[in-house]
Amino acid sequence: MAAGTEIRMSGAENSIAPRGSQLAYWALQLGGWGFFTLTRFLAGVAALQLPWLSLGLELLLSSIIGLGLSHGLRQYAKRHHWSTLTLGALSRRVILASFIVGVPLGILTQFTDLTAFHDPGPLLQEYAPGLTRMALPASICLEILNWALLYVIWFTLYFSVLGVRARRSAQLRQSEMARALHLAELKLLKSQLNPHFLFNALNTVRSLIAENPSRAQVAVTQLANTLRYTLKSRQDELVTLAEELTIVAGYLEIESMRFEDRLRTEIHIADAALAVRIPEMLVQTLVENAIKHGIAELPLGGLLRVRAFKEDDMLILEVENPRPQATTPAATTGVGLSNARDRLQLLFGGRASLDLDLSKPALATARLRIPLKP
Amino acid sequence: MKAMIIDDEPPARRELRRLLAEFPWVEIVAEVGNIEQAAVLVDTLAPELLLLDIQMPGGSGFDLLDRLDQVPQVIFITAHDEHAVRAFKVNALDYLLKPIDPARLAEAMARVKNAEASRAVRPGAVLEQIFVRDGSRCWFVPLREVRLLSSEGNYIRLSWGKLAPLLGRALVALEQRLDPNRFFRANRHQIINVDFIESVELGVNGRLHASLRDGPEVEISRRQARLFKSRMSV
Repeated sequence: MAAGTEIRMSGAENSIAPRGSQLAYWALQLGGWGFFTLTRFLAGVAALQLPWLSLGLELLLSSIIGLGLSHGLRQYAKRHHWSTLTLGALSRRVILASFIVGVPLGILTQFTDLTAFHDPGPLLQEYAPGLTRMALPASICLEILNWALLYVIWFTLYFSVLGVRARRSAQLRQSEMARALHLAELKLLKSQLNPHFLFNALNTVRSLIAENPSRAQVAVTQLANTLRYTLKSRQDELVTLAEELTIVAGYLEIESMRFEDRLRTEIHIADAALAVRIPEMLVQTLVENAIKHGIAELPLGGLLRVRAFKEDDMLILEVENPRPQATTPAATTGVGLSNARDRLQLLFGGRASLDLDLSKPALATARLRIPLKP
Repeated sequence: MKAMIIDDEPPARRELRRLLAEFPWVEIVAEVGNIEQAAVLVDTLAPELLLLDIQMPGGSGFDLLDRLDQVPQVIFITAHDEHAVRAFKVNALDYLLKPIDPARLAEAMARVKNAEASRAVRPGAVLEQIFVRDGSRCWFVPLREVRLLSSEGNYIRLSWGKLAPLLGRALVALEQRLDPNRFFRANRHQIINVDFIESVELGVNGRLHASLRDGPEVEISRRQARLFKSRMSV
């Protein structure tokens, strides 16, 4: 049932940021800008001995403007999907954007900057005498550069966090995908093992051990063959009809021990058809269906017919079983058949087909048509 | 104790018969392979215990129980339908998985022996227990625990503990099989279990109002009220 199994994803979608990431964004924004402001404030008060109140107000104002602009840049970057750009294109945009906001900020802060009007104090004069005697244009340039650099750093941090997040969610998605795939495989295997058949067969064997030990031995061997074939079979494997029929015959032998005279079988295979390659387990699945929905549902059982022959360039294989009239078999056999059809489509494109013929009132015929040359 | 094996696979029936040989107090009165035959034989042979396979041609084991008037004790047997049987765990006797483990069978048979309601089912006797299937859930309902049966169209709503399952029968048909000492027709739509009556009050126009334990108040019609008084005063 692998082909029909839907693989569902539950991970977070990238385009819609979950609440948690919004929260983290604001925490980082406020934390980062707060820390930046605080260090400048402490340095200004302690090292440059600037008046704390006016310095505090000035830094607060510039940080609020800085934070607002960084948020605006982030909205712009999001809208234009910068996170999907190559590193080169991203770097160019980041540097350009940093300067675009750096210029007005630099000019603005040049005139609100206390250090420009305030007596720089002995420390600054001693260690950076050039700074205090700088010409206005040079000072503005330095200020602009400062701001631009700050925004480059901001962007670097922002995109690093985004990158880490994206990688983590990609990993998560991959592992979820793998899990869904494993579940689908497990489901398929379970359905192929046909537990209802398996446990009933074991029950039959238990009964035969008391009644007819040598028949019980045969049953165990056939059961082992059926199981081994099921376990090794793959969805995309082809086998000859002869190989497949060996397994089908073994399976039918076990089933006839279960149902005794309720199950009668007739198998007619044209010699020319025996070497045709067919999808593994396909005939087996059809025969299992015929028993499950036909023979097992009828109090008196009936005749199960398997026929195969060549016609033009096709192999025709028919599995016919009596069916209970009250039920609508199409509904109950639908899943098994649709999986078989999906496999045929994968292996042969549109050249193979599988139909369930219900035109006769008490019979169901599964008709398989497979091209002789795959 | 009379028991019946109902399974569509002959080897499974023989295996069960062999396993049951360990319990000499069990007499296997019939082996059946489909529910049509089983329904007939349960009525004529009146077994006290059914060993019942779930997946069978022509209808499941549940379908069989649905068709029986009075269900004997049942042990379900299944190869792979535990989920179906689990619905019964509420009050079914037991269920066994194929191939049957003799130790588990012994446990189940011990339960059968201990079960209180191990009385023979005679045709025409009053109903003790009914099988109810409502949606995906099923119960064996002991009628003495049902306080009220209300007619809803062609169905009967049972007031049973906290549950109110719907039974697919007409109230008139069921009424004849109820124990007359326990059940009383209160009005056109309802039958009450007199064991559950807590108090009775006089109403207008000679009607009565009976309050049921854990249950609603039921009106007893004027005609039935006279009958009720004469029965209760005796």
